Amino acid sequence: MDFKITSPKNKAGLLKAMQEGKNFRFGAGYTDLLMELKKQEETSFTIINLAQLNDKTFTEINTISGGLRIGSLATAAEIVNDKFITQHFPALQEAAHSLASSQIREVATIGGNLCTASPSGDMACALMALEAQCEILSANGKTRTVPISGFFTGPRKTVLQKKEVLRSVLVPLLEKNRKLHSGFIKVGTRRSMECSVVSLAYHIHLDRNDSIVHAGVAIGASAPTIRFAKTACDLISGNNLKTISQKDKEEFAAKVVSYASPITDIRATAWYRKEVLFNISKSIFE
Amino acid sequence: MKKKQKIAQRHKISFKLNSKDVSCDVKASAVLMDVIRDVLELKGTKPGCREGECGACTVLINGSPINSCLFLAINAEGKKITTIEGLTKEDGSLDIVQHELVQHGAVQCGFCTSGMAMSIKGLMNQHEKSNRGAGKNKKGQPSREEIKKHLEGNLCRCTGYVKIIDATEKLFVKEK
Repeated sequence: MDFKITSPKNKAGLLKAMQEGKNFRFGAGYTDLLMELKKQEETSFTIINLAQLNDKTFTEINTISGGLRIGSLATAAEIVNDKFITQHFPALQEAAHSLASSQIREVATIGGNLCTASPSGDMACALMALEAQCEILSANGKTRTVPISGFFTGPRKTVLQKKEVLRSVLVPLLEKNRKLHSGFIKVGTRRSMECSVVSLAYHIHLDRNDSIVHAGVAIGASAPTIRFAKTACDLISGNNLKTISQKDKEEFAAKVVSYASPITDIRATAWYRKEVLFNISKSIFE
Repeated sequence: MKKKQKIAQRHKISFKLNSKDVSCDVKASAVLMDVIRDVLELKGTKPGCREGECGACTVLINGSPINSCLFLAINAEGKKITTIEGLTKEDGSLDIVQHELVQHGAVQCGFCTSGMAMSIKGLMNQHEKSNRGAGKNKKGQPSREEIKKHLEGNLCRCTGYVKIIDATEKLFVKEK
């Protein structure tokens, strides 16, 4: 394994590296990238090392009006320990906590989890349910915002153009102090260091009487990309979380499964994935 | 005739290793584990799977556990790194973590032990950090489940983990 690397220290340095670089890839936590590089003797590309970048928009987690801005270099461990996220976005906190191991969580970044665009990305699945916005910085210094539902274009593929980098994600906070029913369910073949067989993130806003005001549900490891189950969310809107009928639960679960087009691989068959997805979808009301 | 250009880009790095300043010259692609073992010649950090699964290479960076096999050495620049050698006190006496592992017979073949000890130390550091200035909201000792969750990145093929978890539990009882 051998490669060239450049480590910009600030935003200006980063933009310069992106402008001048012809063939490059970004590295941040390296928990995924190094595994890939170790298989190659020499790489044709330079690595732009983001690990030493000292720019608050990339590294910090900040509350802003209307929500929370999470820098793409925030680590899973920082997300697990963030009090605001734990309180307002439990689905994201649980997803970050379920990811790999404590050693990996210390270095793995939320930006990496998104940009690697794995269909089973844990934090990516939660961010989909939370209807986050991706803030993308271009080499010319301009930023654009893409809703996460449009960020993934295929397995390991995103809308990011050649001279672009994911700077931060914006998680909308619909209303403070709203009652929440929010979480992340991951089903795997073992408990630790697990890549999910299927996963499901849900973030449901309730009114005082437990009526569903707004629902966000996303599924992972079930399709070429993580998917937002829009029709399932619409279906349960207005229902009461506590008294929703068995029939509605099953109809909801069937709608969630309609977004799945899983594959059969070493971890599970497509049939099994759909069965599990149906059952965990139903289980979120219990 | 033009020679095929080798990449061989070298980087000078400086960091604190077990409270001592060190600096060395490394390849861009060098991982921290190899630098610790082969350049700085501390062999307590073990190469297991080399892919972040087994945790035998766990070291602390600024007090938190990481897999040194998946960490680029150049990113250690300016950081504080602790290996198993740094856990032992200057006079050679064992750290409380090592002591409890020994007391509980939590070591068999020993290959996972240095990584395991570093992971447990990391848990103690995190616990202490989150309780610093927490006043009444201090976290109690971690449950067995929480200990297991924290140690999920450390594989042991001998002990069955029970004694390792016993030893960790004891550490937090002592801490109180």
